[in-house]
Amino acid sequence: MKTNLTPILSALTRQRGVRGSLLVDETDGVIIDATMHVGMKGPAFAALAASLYRKARLSAEAAGLGGVTFVRLRATEGHVCTAGKNEMVLVIVADVHANIGLIRMEMLKALERLTI
Amino acid sequence: MISVAEPWVEAPLKRFVDDARVTFALLIYPSGQVLGQSGFSRAVEVMSAAALAAGIYATVRELGRTLDGKGFRDVFHAGAKRRLYLAEAFTPRGPCLLLTVFDEQSSLGLVQLYFEELRTALAQTKVQVPDAAPMLDENFEVELNRNLAMLFGRAPGRRHITPTS
Repeated sequence: MKTNLTPILSALTRQRGVRGSLLVDETDGVIIDATMHVGMKGPAFAALAASLYRKARLSAEAAGLGGVTFVRLRATEGHVCTAGKNEMVLVIVADVHANIGLIRMEMLKALERLTI
Repeated sequence: MISVAEPWVEAPLKRFVDDARVTFALLIYPSGQVLGQSGFSRAVEVMSAAALAAGIYATVRELGRTLDGKGFRDVFHAGAKRRLYLAEAFTPRGPCLLLTVFDEQSSLGLVQLYFEELRTALAQTKVQVPDAAPMLDENFEVELNRNLAMLFGRAPGRRHITPTS
């Protein structure tokens, strides 16, 4: 089902090396909207990624570092990038060779455009 | 602490509680009979929660049939601080319900994720199915009290384990 958020997420997923883009409710860990390649376990991934972002945000706050702008997890087979705004978390899954600098910039630009 | 009335639910229930980081978990048959619990400290709390969960399940199942032609599979309620999730699973002994309560340490997505694992584990459990003797009204209270006594250590067969976290 297409929503008014779909074009923003689709543009992110079209970036080279990106396997999927998800907008997730930070508190509930459920998908608001997503565009993903076939085979991705969206709901499971969304729940875990939102939990990861939330814990990173709380850790930063507890350390007196202020809000989290961007979280990147590097794994052997790829990257998970998250950025948040207004209780929403934008999550990108990317291949190991993806241009994370470009993806980060596009994510932060997309966050500016995301409104519900 | 986890306590169970039937030993085959102990491992999957413990894993669910540890992974999903829920505050309370209660596994019951749709009749309200208790299979296992975590987080409750008094038998009367378990009895109330089991009765209410069975009532909610019966209500939403009928509501689902009325609105959608089939019963709803799960229910989520977001409170101010705590959230409640009630969902159906299947065991070799028939359907059962999980009532779980969680706070900001967990999320609906995580609870659903680990509930799917619990659902799979329960469905794959190798447990002997007793001869089909229907639960009769006259037996219900006796059975319920027996299970509660087992859960809270007032009867032989009590089993409990302490979570590692």
